[in-house]
Amino acid sequence: MVGIDRRLLQNVDWPLLGATVGLVILSASTLASLHVGRAGGSVAVRQLAWFGIGLVALVIVASIDYRRLVRLAPLIYLAGLGALVTVFLVGRTVSGARRWVFVGPVSVQPSELFKICFVLMMAWLLASRWAQPVNRTTLVLAAPVAAVPMILILKQPDLGTALLLGPVLIALLVAAGMPLRTLGGLVLAGLAAAPLAWLVLKDYQRERILVFLDPVRDPLGSAYNVIQAKIAIGSGQLLGKGVAGATQSRLAFLPERHTDFIFAVFAETWGFVGCLVLLACYALVLLRGFDIAASTREPVGRLVALGVTALVATQVLVNVGMVTGLLPVVGIPLPFMSYGGSSMVVSMTALGLLLSVRMRQFQ
Amino acid sequence: MSSRLGYLGGPGMPGRPDPGRRRVLAMAGVVTVALLVIVCQLWYLQVLEGGRFQEASDKNRIRIRPIAAPRGILFDRNGLPLVDNRPAFTLSLIPRELERDPAQRAATLGRLASLLQIPFAELQDAVARVSPDSILPVRVRRGLTMDDVVRVEEWKLELPGVIVEVEPQRAYPNSRFAAHLLGFVREANDEQLKQGRYRRGDMVGQSGLERLLDEFLRGKDGGERIEVDAMGRQMRMIQSTEPHPGAQVVTTVDRRIQEAAEKAMEGHAGAVVVMDPRNGDVLAMVSTPAFEIDRFTGTIDREAWLRLVQHPEHPMLNRTIQSQYAPGSVFKIVVAAAGLQEGSLTPTDRTDCAGDFRLGDWTFKDWKEGGHGSVDLLEAIRHSCNVFFYEKGLKIGGSVIARYATAFGFGSPTQIDLPGERRGLIPQPRLRRDRRVGGGWHAGETVNMSIGQGKVLVTPMQVARFMSAVANGGVLWKPRLVQRIERRDKGVVWSDGGSVTGHVELSPMVWAFLRHSLWSVVNDNGTGAGARIPGLDIAGKTGTAQMIAKSRASKGQDHAWFAAFAPVREPEAVIVVLVERGGKGGQVAAPIARKILNAIFMEKVASVELGG
Repeated sequence: MVGIDRRLLQNVDWPLLGATVGLVILSASTLASLHVGRAGGSVAVRQLAWFGIGLVALVIVASIDYRRLVRLAPLIYLAGLGALVTVFLVGRTVSGARRWVFVGPVSVQPSELFKICFVLMMAWLLASRWAQPVNRTTLVLAAPVAAVPMILILKQPDLGTALLLGPVLIALLVAAGMPLRTLGGLVLAGLAAAPLAWLVLKDYQRERILVFLDPVRDPLGSAYNVIQAKIAIGSGQLLGKGVAGATQSRLAFLPERHTDFIFAVFAETWGFVGCLVLLACYALVLLRGFDIAASTREPVGRLVALGVTALVATQVLVNVGMVTGLLPVVGIPLPFMSYGGSSMVVSMTALGLLLSVRMRQFQ
Repeated sequence: MSSRLGYLGGPGMPGRPDPGRRRVLAMAGVVTVALLVIVCQLWYLQVLEGGRFQEASDKNRIRIRPIAAPRGILFDRNGLPLVDNRPAFTLSLIPRELERDPAQRAATLGRLASLLQIPFAELQDAVARVSPDSILPVRVRRGLTMDDVVRVEEWKLELPGVIVEVEPQRAYPNSRFAAHLLGFVREANDEQLKQGRYRRGDMVGQSGLERLLDEFLRGKDGGERIEVDAMGRQMRMIQSTEPHPGAQVVTTVDRRIQEAAEKAMEGHAGAVVVMDPRNGDVLAMVSTPAFEIDRFTGTIDREAWLRLVQHPEHPMLNRTIQSQYAPGSVFKIVVAAAGLQEGSLTPTDRTDCAGDFRLGDWTFKDWKEGGHGSVDLLEAIRHSCNVFFYEKGLKIGGSVIARYATAFGFGSPTQIDLPGERRGLIPQPRLRRDRRVGGGWHAGETVNMSIGQGKVLVTPMQVARFMSAVANGGVLWKPRLVQRIERRDKGVVWSDGGSVTGHVELSPMVWAFLRHSLWSVVNDNGTGAGARIPGLDIAGKTGTAQMIAKSRASKGQDHAWFAAFAPVREPEAVIVVLVERGGKGGQVAAPIARKILNAIFMEKVASVELGG
C-alpha cells in the first residue's frame, strides 16, 4: 500500500520542496535570534524537530494514493469532529481560549488538524454522485458539513481558523463548477448576515475590528500590537537592521513575536529585500500548488490539490495582511514560519497531499 | 465517474476544453494580485515611510516594572500579626538605559557610589552579571533611607538608568522579636540561585518559619510593562499583571506570652519554651541573645555578618532546639518515675543525707553543705537532695533509668518543623558494656546520671515535651508551630491537627505522686519557691547543670533550669526556662518562669488577688 513506484518518484515536485525547506530555514534562524522566554534558543531547535516530524507525515501522506484517503474522508471528518468536541471536555485553557488537548507530553490543537479533514471531506462531497450537477442543491449538502465544525471552532474561540474555512470552501466550490451567479448570491447573503455575526463576536474580537478601521482608537489597548508591528516592519527599511539591531523584536515590544507576529520580526531584521525573498518562496509554493491543481484532470485530485493550496494561501495572505496592517488582527499562524508543532505538521501534511496528487497526475 | 463530472473535466481528454482549469488559474491570479498588494504595502512601510518608523522605533523605550508580591503574614494564635509588611525603597539599575559607553557608564556608577556610599565595585558587579540589553531592573540596594531617595531623585538627570522602586518589606514589632522562631528574610544567595527556584533579587526566607514556609509565604510577583520617555517618565501602561500575595500563616504562638518571655529573659543568655501540654502547641519560643532580625532585610555588609556569626554568645543559635545541656536535677523526675514504676523505689524509702556519697574511691557531693538529714522521696524531690538520688539511682540501675529517659523522648529529636534540631544524648549502659566502647560502664556514671549530670544531654524543647507528658499523663506531642496556612483565594491550603509521637505508661499512682511532689517543690518551701504565685497551682522542678570545669573560677557558671506546668489539676501550660551560666535554678530560672506564668495566667491571678 505504501510502496512507491519509481515512476512516482520521478514526479516529485522538487522546486516545491526546495521552497519549503527555504522557509523552514528562515523560520528557524528568526526564532533563534529571538531568545523567547525560558526556552531560549531551543524554540528554533524544537521548530526543526517539528519540521522533521512533519517531513515524516509528508512522506507517508505522499506515498498513499490520495483517492484512498478521500474514500475514507467521511470517517476522517467524523474523527476530526470528535477531536473538536474533545477540546471542550478535556481541553486546556490558554489566555481564555480552549484550543489545546494534551497527548502525552505535547499539546495538540485539534482545530489545526481539522483543516486537512475539512479539505478531504469537501473534496469527497463535491465529487460524489449526490452533488452532481454542482448547483444550489450542492450548497444545501455542503452547508451543514461546513457549518458544524465552524461553530465548534468559533466556540473555542478560534475565530481565525473558523474564518479560514470560508475561503477554502469558496475556492473548492469555484473549482467544482458552481455557477458564479449562485456563488455571488451566497457571498452577498454572507455580507448581509455580517451584522448578525457582529453579535456573535467576543468583545476583544469586535475591538480588533474597530481598531483596524481606526488604529488611533485605542493606542494603549488592542491597537498596540498593530502599531508595534508596523514600527517593527517599517524600521527595517530597505535592507533591515540585522539580528543585533532588531530592537523592536528583541526587546519584546512585539507581542506573540515567535508565533503570529513572526513576519514583523523577519521584516525588521532583513528589511524589504528580505521580505521579497520570503514572499517569493511563498509565491513559488502557492503557484506550484495552483499549477498542480490546474494540470490535474482527475476531479478528486484537482479538488484536493486546490483545497490544500487555498488553505496555505489564505493563511499566508491573512497573516501577512494582518501584520502589515492591511487586515484586522486575527490569530492565524504563518505556515512554516510561526513556531508551533500542530501548524507545522498540518502544513507539511498539506504539502504531502499536494505531492500525492502531483505524483499520480499522469497515471 | 468522469462522465458524470463534465464540468470537473476528466482524465485522458487533453483536447477538450477544461473550464475548471480556467477557474483554478483565475484563482492563482487572485492570489498573485494579493501578494503584489502586500509587496506594495511593504514598499510603503519600509521604503517610503521607513525613516519615520525608524525614528519611532528609536524612541520606543519600554520598562518592565516588577511588582513584588507582599510576603504572607504570620499570625499568632489569637490573630495578632507577628510580622507585617511595609513599603520600602530599593535602588535599581536598568542595564539597557545605562550609558552605552563604558567610560560614561563608569562615571554614572561612580557618581551613584559616592552619593550613597556604596562600594563602586559592588555596582559594577551587579551590572556585569546581566545582559546589557536587559530591561529588567537589577536590585542594587534595599532599604534606602528617605535621604538616599531624595539624593537620587535630585541627581536623576545625571543618573540615566538608575531608578528607585518601592517594594513591600518585612516589618517587625521590634528588631529582636521572636527572631529564631520567625527567621530572617534575605535576597536569594548564590547557592539558592543555583537550584533554579529563585531569581536574582528575590527575597527568600533564610531561617526559622520564614524558611520552612517560604514556598507558601512568597506569593507570585506581578509586573507592569510600561513605555517611558527619555526622562524615564511613564508614558503609558502597556500590560500589567497583578501580584498574588503570599499565604497567611496562623501559628500556635501567643504573641503576648512570647513578648512576656522575651522581656523576662532580658539580660540573660538562655532559652524559654512555653508549650500547651494538651496538644503540643508551642506558645512561645525564646532564645537569647537574639539577633536583630531586621538587620538582614536590607543590605548587610560582610563585617556585620561576620560579627554576628562569630559572636562569642552565638546569637544565631536557636538554643531551644539547637543547644544541648545537662538537665541537672530536672532529670530526677525521670529517675523517680523509673524507680516507682519498677518497684525499686517507694515513697516511704528514706536516706540519711550527710552531704556526700561515697562509692569506692569516689566521693559525690550534695549541693547543700552538710546535707539534708533524713529525707523520703517527696522531700528529696522538694529539696532536690542529690545523695538520696545517688543512692536510689544505683539501686534502680543505669539501664532502667536510660530506658525511662528514652521513653520520655530524651535522646531523640522532637520532630519540630524547624531545621537543625539536636537530638540530645542518653548514655546506654548495656550497649556500652556489650560493645566494649570506652572501657565499660562505671557505677559512678549511673550515680552521675541519677542527678542529670555526666553524659546526659537534652534540649530545652525536649524538656518541654517531657514536662508536658508529666502534665498530661504520658502523651508525647510533636511540638506544633503552625496551625494552618490560608490563601486568599483558596482558603485553607495546609493544616496540622497535631500528632502524638509517643506514650509513656505509668500507673496512676505514680503520676499522682509525681504531680504532687512537683507541686510541693513550688508551694511547700521547696527549691522552686521562687516561682510561686498565690492563686495558681504551679508544679515544677529546678535544675542546676554543673559545667564540666570544677574549678573555683567557674562557680556561678552553672546552667540554671526550671521546668513547670500549671494549673496542676488541669494543666494548660508547660514552661521551661534555661539560663546559661545563671547559677542555681531555683534562684535564677524560677523567678523568670514566675514572670512568664504571671503573664500567661494574668486574668486568673488578677481575679484571685482582687477576691482575696
